Amino acid sequence: MAVERKVAIVGVRQLNAADSKKPRERLLFELVKGLFDEKGLTRHDIDTFVLCSNDFQAGHTISNVFEDDPVGAFMKDETKVEADGIWAATYALQRILCGKYDTALVVGNSQGGSVFRPYLIMDYTMSPVYERQLGIMNELSSAALQARALLDRYGYSEDVLDQIAARSLSNAAMNPDAFNGKKGTTADMVAKSAYLYEPLKEMHCYPMTDGFCALLIASEEKAKSLSDNPVWIKGVGDSIDSFYAERDVVKPNSVKLAGERAYKMAGITAKDIDIAEVSAKFAHQEPIICEGLGLFAEGSAADVASKGLADIAGDMPVNPSGGALGAYAFSAGGMVRLAECYKQLTGTAGDIQVSGAKTAIAHGQDGLCMQHNGVMVVSTEEG
Amino acid sequence: MAGPERAVADLVVPLDYTYNYRVGPYLEKYIQELGNKKIMAVKCPKCDKVAVPPREICGWCRAKMDEWVEVGPDGTVENFTIAHVWLNKGAVERIDKPKVIAMVMLDGATVPLAGWLEAEPSSVKKGMKVKAVFKEPAENALTDLSHFEPV
Repeated sequence: MAVERKVAIVGVRQLNAADSKKPRERLLFELVKGLFDEKGLTRHDIDTFVLCSNDFQAGHTISNVFEDDPVGAFMKDETKVEADGIWAATYALQRILCGKYDTALVVGNSQGGSVFRPYLIMDYTMSPVYERQLGIMNELSSAALQARALLDRYGYSEDVLDQIAARSLSNAAMNPDAFNGKKGTTADMVAKSAYLYEPLKEMHCYPMTDGFCALLIASEEKAKSLSDNPVWIKGVGDSIDSFYAERDVVKPNSVKLAGERAYKMAGITAKDIDIAEVSAKFAHQEPIICEGLGLFAEGSAADVASKGLADIAGDMPVNPSGGALGAYAFSAGGMVRLAECYKQLTGTAGDIQVSGAKTAIAHGQDGLCMQHNGVMVVSTEEG
Repeated sequence: MAGPERAVADLVVPLDYTYNYRVGPYLEKYIQELGNKKIMAVKCPKCDKVAVPPREICGWCRAKMDEWVEVGPDGTVENFTIAHVWLNKGAVERIDKPKVIAMVMLDGATVPLAGWLEAEPSSVKKGMKVKAVFKEPAENALTDLSHFEPV
């Protein structure tokens, strides 16, 4: 099914930090007020608010209950997604497609840098009567097993993972919206970082992040009045897999299905993608996601790394922003990938700008070893 | 516009609940049989997958799995990681002596089981033969399957 109503992203705002130092409510207010001021809007111009946060992360029930006031959603149409932000953006798209709304504000946040421990939240996603009783599986040990399986499958050395991390961290250093970048990071520098669970090293992992992101989404007429260069949503895809022991974590079917669904809806193929912003929370997940989305051939990660194919100036730039290694907040994560695509397609990405990019794909994930995957294809071409 | 950046008070707010779960008949039987030094799995009547820990509905073809079969105690290491840390309520803490986590394909099963492997980390290889070691006396808990060791 094609998208029957044209919908575009017309504004983005994000804040990522190791410690945002202020209460969540204050930061949400500043984030949304900043976007409203930039666009000359008030809260009354928003038809529907889609918030994205999580009760465990907030530490109280109904995590959005204190978010409504600072984002301007009180006494307005408001709903919440408790999963990665890529699905909050998808939900906002669906709400506009239904014809009842013309503008949606999507706001995602969590403070895993300063308030709670993200790895503990991931523990709480597992079976309380099995995995949590044994204490063997956690976000890091499961990621390490996935990384090891990848290296074994294609005969890669750990250097491939170090090179991916080095590119991500170097890119992040040029992106003012990321905070964990390290200018000129080399694979050797990554190789020297300490093992957590082999082959997973400290510098292969996403940083603990306080992250806030807002996306303003609008129907065709509104989009054109709110922006000179709307970024059109051309397709979405979503798929969820079985639990980690029962699926191929190196070649996840759900990434492939999500990509295929989005390409089909957009009427394009993977070859039409100019930029990918993917939620690889660990270095090894980048080739798994990109190959699943058909952006590179299966088992080509060593080649991609050595030839620099995924570099900003490469044939198929991946995570020019630095990706999740530059900043990754639960809930806001997938929205930040979309915001980075928006920056690229509106020519506002500064030092990380990819020249001539027209079509991009943003990816978000949830669960151990990327159990749930969602993507959105966006383009400068209205089509 | 901007509020004060310096915190005068950092509040630490623990959230502590205790949940008393029932595990259901499949995991109940699995745990009871561990006490008899038996690892019980279920076989799918439709696709022949053998799942351990046992589950009622097949993850691949959604058929009801009700044929109980014993698997192991011997098995093969399919995948492994050497742990240099552990997570203490989500906080990364270094451990002095690295430990091995293995995904073990028990003889007769088609789904690997995660477990601790008590072996010299540098000796662990994919394809290595291992066997289950049970706790004595049994405590009627999942940890009655204590760990694996090289054969």
